[in-house]
Amino acid sequence: MAAHEILAATNAVVTLDVALPGTVWPWLVTVNMWAKSIGTGVIFMLFMLLKRYPDQVGKLRFPTIVASIIFIHIFLLFTLADLHQPLRMWHIFFYPHITSAITVGAWMATAFVGLLFLLAFLSFVKKDNVAFDKTLPWVVALAIPVTLYTAGLMSQCTARELWQMPTESAQMIFAALLSGSAFMLLLGGGKLNWDAQKSLANILAISAFMSFVLYMSEYVFGPMKAEEVAAVLEYIKGDGPYTSMFWIGQWVAYLLPMLLIVMSRVSKSESILKLAAILALAGLWVVKHVWLMIPQLLPMS
Amino acid sequence: MQLGFLVDLHLCMGCKGCEIACKVENEVPLSTWRLRVKYVDVGTFPETKRTFTPLRCNHCENAPCERICPVSALHYLDNGIVNIDKERCIGCAGCVMACPYGAIYIDPQTQTADKCTYCAHRVASSMMPACVVACPVQANIFGDLDDPTSNISKYIQGNQGNVQVRKPEKGTNPHHYYVGGGNVNLNPLASQRIEGHSLFNKITTLPVGGHH
Repeated sequence: MAAHEILAATNAVVTLDVALPGTVWPWLVTVNMWAKSIGTGVIFMLFMLLKRYPDQVGKLRFPTIVASIIFIHIFLLFTLADLHQPLRMWHIFFYPHITSAITVGAWMATAFVGLLFLLAFLSFVKKDNVAFDKTLPWVVALAIPVTLYTAGLMSQCTARELWQMPTESAQMIFAALLSGSAFMLLLGGGKLNWDAQKSLANILAISAFMSFVLYMSEYVFGPMKAEEVAAVLEYIKGDGPYTSMFWIGQWVAYLLPMLLIVMSRVSKSESILKLAAILALAGLWVVKHVWLMIPQLLPMS
Repeated sequence: MQLGFLVDLHLCMGCKGCEIACKVENEVPLSTWRLRVKYVDVGTFPETKRTFTPLRCNHCENAPCERICPVSALHYLDNGIVNIDKERCIGCAGCVMACPYGAIYIDPQTQTADKCTYCAHRVASSMMPACVVACPVQANIFGDLDDPTSNISKYIQGNQGNVQVRKPEKGTNPHHYYVGGGNVNLNPLASQRIEGHSLFNKITTLPVGGHH
């Protein structure tokens, strides 16, 4: 680790410090964030498609809601699995502490799941598209804070200087747009015309570009503002333990999908779009995992 | 009442008596510590010295752990102590992630968060924390920061300009002070951690959950 305040004159070396376990939030939390991005992202995309291409999306209402339900439940399952006392989860509802983003997030996610099942009921049982389309904006409105609350949680982690609120919020929203558009390209594929697919591809490319800009901004300028950020970013620079994984994530999640989407414009190839979508979804997990892990490597004492 | 702690690092000799007393008093399991003493070696041979810094929960006025806890397992007592209710804790580890001092850990026996409570149970019975009693040189000074006649208040007054807290930039307003501390003691980024230079290199850790 590059300790930025180490002076040759002091030559200070820690010879005894029984540091507490470094990795507190493991890969389970990465899956949690990744699945939630898809679960809310597809709702945003369904809303957009219904507004812009209502004739194209009729058959996608129910499959999209099912996909959202599945991924939101993956998110909930991994949240539960990460708890050391999962059987006490009910405490969040009976002893709530509303200053905690975890509490607020749990309540909102619960309401979100309820609304998703309502949409599934309207679509599959009642077959009432009018009621579905009237309810969907409310679900979209709730999907925004459900997407963002993890950013709030990360910013409440005072010890982890790398996770700053405005940046994390933007990253969460772009991750939802990226993964939502990518998943809808895979789900909707043949059922959508080329214009609708192009719209999804545009969203994917723009959110990939913006996410990449955010990460690069942090990479270059973060160390100039805060000593702890500089120390944390050393883990993804040079011979750092997460350097390779960081760049693999940036290429697979953002750069390659952007390039492939440009190529698909020339060749009008749905296969290339699907490849871009698969890469974006896989790469997003890697990117999120690196960003989750590196602040946990820094000794707090 | 606002209870606080002060450690005079001029006096601390790194005997770890406080660590042991804390472990015994609070039945802290193997591989975890509510209080630990950090050694930092400074200088180049033959001009070297070893510094000792007891580290424990800072009982912050603006505690990130209390704020992030979803079930109020971490809570303030009327005397300013940040206490923990292990029966309520769900083990989300948000507090561990939030604490900038690395003072909270997951207890491998109860699978809940745990930390120094300034021996709240002893304080409630008008006794001093176990580490204060065990210290052979009275480097640990504990008392009411709101009372200007308390030992801790007098100590702070008598050492104006030489009283520090850890990571003041975090805005947590710790109620744990050091006298005679320097950058190498209190700033984790001011010292190196070289592999093989630790006095105990093979520390057994107990699992705290299947994937952690």
